[in-house]
Amino acid sequence: MADLFPPLVTAQIDDKPKVDEKVDYSNLPCPVPYEELHREAYMSLKPDTFEGLRFDFTKGLNQKFGLCHSVMMGPTEVPSQSPDTVIKIPTAHYEFGANYIDPKLMLVGRVMTDGRQSARVRADLTDKLMVKANAQLANEPHMSQAMFNFDYMGSDYRAQLQFGNNALVGANYIQSVTPRLSLGGEVFWVGVPRKSGIGYAARYETDKMVASGQVASTGLMAMNYVQKVSDKVSLATDFMYNYFSREAVASVGYDYMLRQSRVRGKIDSNGVASALLEERLSMGLNFLMSAELDHKKKDYKFGFGLTVG
Amino acid sequence: MATNKRTGAGKSGGRDSSILAKIANHEIANKGRRAACDAVYVSKKLLRSTGKAAWIVGTSFLILVVPLLIQAERDQMLGEIELQQASILGPPPPGALQ
Repeated sequence: MADLFPPLVTAQIDDKPKVDEKVDYSNLPCPVPYEELHREAYMSLKPDTFEGLRFDFTKGLNQKFGLCHSVMMGPTEVPSQSPDTVIKIPTAHYEFGANYIDPKLMLVGRVMTDGRQSARVRADLTDKLMVKANAQLANEPHMSQAMFNFDYMGSDYRAQLQFGNNALVGANYIQSVTPRLSLGGEVFWVGVPRKSGIGYAARYETDKMVASGQVASTGLMAMNYVQKVSDKVSLATDFMYNYFSREAVASVGYDYMLRQSRVRGKIDSNGVASALLEERLSMGLNFLMSAELDHKKKDYKFGFGLTVG
Repeated sequence: MATNKRTGAGKSGGRDSSILAKIANHEIANKGRRAACDAVYVSKKLLRSTGKAAWIVGTSFLILVVPLLIQAERDQMLGEIELQQASILGPPPPGALQ
């Protein structure tokens, strides 16, 4: 559902000279939602590479309602004891889904041949309050999960409350401090392994770059930086550090949005190089190719797919 | 006789061979031999690690850079074709359907 293809890229000439205006602190823009803090970085750095064949067909029956069919065949990884070996089991499944998309209400449902079902609801109750719900049911016991979020959007802040199964309660808040800088924090409490956590996040953006960082009491510290080099090219880099287990991963990636295709590539400090190429063969027909090389574990994954509609 | 010959031969030849043997068993020659063995060992390792590095760099280049170059070239050719068409057809007439 994410728009794979941005519309035809046209150069925009900004005629107005940039004047240094005095910052109006009472009229700051609304920040991005807390879970989308790292949105630009992850768009470049986490392309969804896959292994095997993937075929997606989306048919719109109405302006608002559409059905989608998708077939995925390929090996899936099974977690193994030793970190060196990788166990793969070939699987194939078909997924059927229905989407209803309205400006105020969005309903998405999916069902798969292995019995898994998922549903997502997003409703704007008023123009400031939004409810989101997300549920996944599986055949195995104790693998189903559900999560409800209530979002409130203020003039220059956003607040969110989350409830999930396994007695998960969370809240987060983000506030614009200057027109470019926004700071936020989150708190959560999980019932099943009784733990709670607190985290802080910051995001600084200008026209050409976005830098964001996040620290959490679970030991995660992440920082990333995206530079928009031109209309078509953006480069991103990311650093993730776990200060309990003292593991660090850094990655560098690029994202080229050309007229007929989109190429994303990334290289990692774990020795993983991955790339995803989406090419528009004709109107509504996209051809996908993905590759991932893990030089440390000597695990090479390649996939190709077709997206129609 | 034979021993004489041998010793005789040994003495002159022995002197040669003893000189040769002396040279061959000298400390410096031993060091030279060890150095040569080490050099062969190190150069084998260097070749192997260069080969590994070349493989890693080569396959990563193939995955990360080659599709990008191909797509960028296609985009450039598309731009040229559009430019050519625009110059051949000229500006669209005022009532044209865009």
